[in-house]
Amino acid sequence: MGSKFIHFIDNIESYICRTLLALFVTLLFAQIVSRQLFGYSFSWSEELSVYMFVWFVFFGASYAAKLAAHNRVTFQYKLMPSWLPPILEFLSDMIWVAFNSYFVYLSYDFVFNKMNLFWKSQTLGIPMKYIYLILPIAFTLMTIRILQVNYYKLIKGIDIRDPDSQEMDELMEHDIDENDKKNAA
Amino acid sequence: MAESSIVLILFGSFLVLLVMGAPVTVALGVAALSSFLYLDQNPIKFVQIAFTSVGSFPLMALPAFILAGALMEAAGISKRLVTLAESFAGPVTGGISAATVLACMFFGAISGSGPATTAAVGMLMIPAMVKRGYDKGYASAITASSGGLGIVIPPSIPMVIFGISAIGLSVPPEAIAEHGEFQSVSITKMFIAGVLPGLVISISLMTLNYIRCKRLGYAGTAEGWDIKHIAESFRTGFWSVMAPLVILGGIYSGFFTPTESAIVAIFYTLFVGVFIHRELSWKDLFRSLETTTWLSGRVLLILFTATVFGRLLVENQIPAIVAESMLSLTDNIYLIWFLIIIFLLFVGMFMETLAAIMILTPVLLPVTYNLGIDPVHFGIVMVCSLSIGFATPPLGENLFVASGISNISLEEVTVKALPFAFVSAAAVFIIAFFPEIALFLPRQFGY
Amino acid sequence: ANWNIAVGDGGGSAQEALGLKFIEQLEAKTDGKHSAKLFLNGQLGSEQDTVNDAAIGTLDFSILASNNLAPFSPTLGILSLPYIFENLDQAVQTVEGPIAAELVENTIRDSGVRIIGWTYSGFRVLSNSKRPIQKLADLDGIVVRVPKNEIMIDTYKSWGNNPTPMAWSETFTALQQGVVDGQDTPYTTIYAMKFGEVQKYISDLHYLFLLEPLIVSESVYQDQNEATQKAILEAGNEATAYSLQWLKDQEAVIKEELVNKYGMQIDTLQDEAEWAKKAQEAVWPKFYESVGGKGKVNELLRSLGRDEV
Ligand code: NA
Ligand code: NA
Repeated sequence: MGSKFIHFIDNIESYICRTLLALFVTLLFAQIVSRQLFGYSFSWSEELSVYMFVWFVFFGASYAAKLAAHNRVTFQYKLMPSWLPPILEFLSDMIWVAFNSYFVYLSYDFVFNKMNLFWKSQTLGIPMKYIYLILPIAFTLMTIRILQVNYYKLIKGIDIRDPDSQEMDELMEHDIDENDKKNAA
Repeated sequence: MAESSIVLILFGSFLVLLVMGAPVTVALGVAALSSFLYLDQNPIKFVQIAFTSVGSFPLMALPAFILAGALMEAAGISKRLVTLAESFAGPVTGGISAATVLACMFFGAISGSGPATTAAVGMLMIPAMVKRGYDKGYASAITASSGGLGIVIPPSIPMVIFGISAIGLSVPPEAIAEHGEFQSVSITKMFIAGVLPGLVISISLMTLNYIRCKRLGYAGTAEGWDIKHIAESFRTGFWSVMAPLVILGGIYSGFFTPTESAIVAIFYTLFVGVFIHRELSWKDLFRSLETTTWLSGRVLLILFTATVFGRLLVENQIPAIVAESMLSLTDNIYLIWFLIIIFLLFVGMFMETLAAIMILTPVLLPVTYNLGIDPVHFGIVMVCSLSIGFATPPLGENLFVASGISNISLEEVTVKALPFAFVSAAAVFIIAFFPEIALFLPRQFGY
Repeated sequence: ANWNIAVGDGGGSAQEALGLKFIEQLEAKTDGKHSAKLFLNGQLGSEQDTVNDAAIGTLDFSILASNNLAPFSPTLGILSLPYIFENLDQAVQTVEGPIAAELVENTIRDSGVRIIGWTYSGFRVLSNSKRPIQKLADLDGIVVRVPKNEIMIDTYKSWGNNPTPMAWSETFTALQQGVVDGQDTPYTTIYAMKFGEVQKYISDLHYLFLLEPLIVSESVYQDQNEATQKAILEAGNEATAYSLQWLKDQEAVIKEELVNKYGMQIDTLQDEAEWAKKAQEAVWPKFYESVGGKGKVNELLRSLGRDEV
């Protein structure tokens, strides 16, 4: 029970994003069907789907940070002495943390102090304040995820790697297994 | 001069961070932030840009095409398309590797991404080529090199991103006086314009493939074409062949916009996967949703910082300065095309395609409009040039995928793919020098 | 100083014409001490974004549609009520009168930006590719694109039509491919966007007169000395007057071009009173509260010599 809950929390962005993605894709499909077959359009569907999409993107960015999936240029690491890349990687991650923290402050300040209070979404009537809340929330989460990845890497010695290269490794291992079987036979 | 110090800070810190290995999105964001602080401007602007750069309707095509692609894999649509292409191999020299190029074209017509095309086609075609006596390195190289067709042949995620990056760009009044009002780039027009250039690149690849196969002695099957096998592949692949027809046909007949076509593709795939092929499981669905999540998250976070970066360029009128210095160098359009393509190929070697488009479109598009180049034509050349980057070192996503599938060293695949990169580059020059290749079809469709 | 002016529309638009005139007048009245630069096509962000930017002080000026300013200062919504102006003269009379002055004060209070000029962009007219629309009944079954704006959506609904809210960036393609049949924008926009290539019929609707304010950041404005403030206000007034003349000249030319160059057909509505009645009855009451009460609407109607509601 406890570990299940922790697993859920540790993948919270993934659950939220999959739900949002499924919802806005279905909503858009319903809109197309309704317009083309019944000549009827929902006036709120565009706005709702776009806002769900924005939430999906920023939670997704946080999830990508958890998977260490954000694109970096790394070929130059091969040209450096081997002690340097880990230091550069750590340094650039700390710059990222600093950037995110500053952005969290900016977006918090914008949402709670600077934003116009009358401003509402046009067809849903929701105050834009609540919709913009995704920015401080997602960037805080993302910052925690970056720290989490570095904690695993530097303290626990577990290297979390880009899912792209993981998939590649799976493919390779699969191939090696096949070859081994053939060689054994 | 204020402009030159901004350029220095903006691009200087961007490059330093890239070399340090910071994520592209961080390099862009921190570079922009430093410039804001240097100019003593309030960076609170970042907040609204973060929200509005992502909150645009056409952009929803990106996760939708990624999800559709992942589902097509799981629903068995991809597999059947590749099998169909394979059945065309026949007795010709280099037939099965030419069929690989063909498979990439078929697959390109349902997928919007390069590495996805390479993976889907490579999984089936590389073993098939090896079975017919091909060297594993060559088999991987031809697959990696034709995987780029996935973004040239519509639908195409990079074309969607190009269209969005081009929205709201403005060009100097003199250019408008000379070449007419600058229209925002229609994504549908981009899609149609990609068809013939996709063919030109395919033919170039197949030609070189024929020459190399002849030298290497890769003959076709002795029995000639197996008509029964082809017919059988068509029958089992019927719903797969229908997929591109539904996607592209729907757009051109006005049932839905390009953005919506991606949505329809998802539900078409769900239908085929669940009711016809009966191969799609809940597990596949959840996995596809998950992959789409982190892929979209990381690309669109770049869009946010790239937009801030671009805003700084616009406010400081950097594109105009670039245009001026370029035009002061030469006003020969072929020479300028040459410089631009070489530059794009160079960028494509190091940088991820979508990030490159987001960063470079605001700088280059006003320049080329100044020279009377149609924005759609320019977009096609840009996408074609960057598509070659999928198969060039050091960052060549297709090379990684292909070498992963075949278990051949990245170095060997890279070396064997280079001749194909050169011939594709030659094709891009042809596409650039003859605008009609890109613009003929859209005009036939009334654009 | 050299200020930045955000402009939502592109080159050749009414917004640009007003902006250029404002810059010319600003330079003249300050002896070249102050100038400004236009950033067209929403290069500095969406129209709604520029309001927050100007309020915070990170942007100096912006020109935007009043319906994009209204969410930040709801009383401005009165200008977008359907058929609140029946003709150009009524719009001009309001802009020059005490009601507009009161709206300017409200906007400073609510949103931290000051309206210093008004672009006259003309009535939004309805174009479509299907058939001439001369009577309310003709509208039946026409799929019309509208921006996601509740007043416009409600207005079409009051006419028994179900409009499709769609992003501006999708509109041209959608019209071209027939995903939607029609849209409504002023003549100048129809011409600038080359809608004539994909639309055949125009109906001369008068339900919404598009006013597009020029706003200045109140904090930027307050930082100026008295002479500069005066110059900014005067330049705004001159630009407003110029915009009116520009619209009158342009609309006449453009209407002719649309007919001659694109072969479009322009129809007048035979029963526009009916359209007005339906829209007023269904839409106005929903917005009385946000625009400051029914009394405000009656005050405006009285000033125009129209019947009160
Ligand atoms: Na494609
Ligand atoms: Na590359």
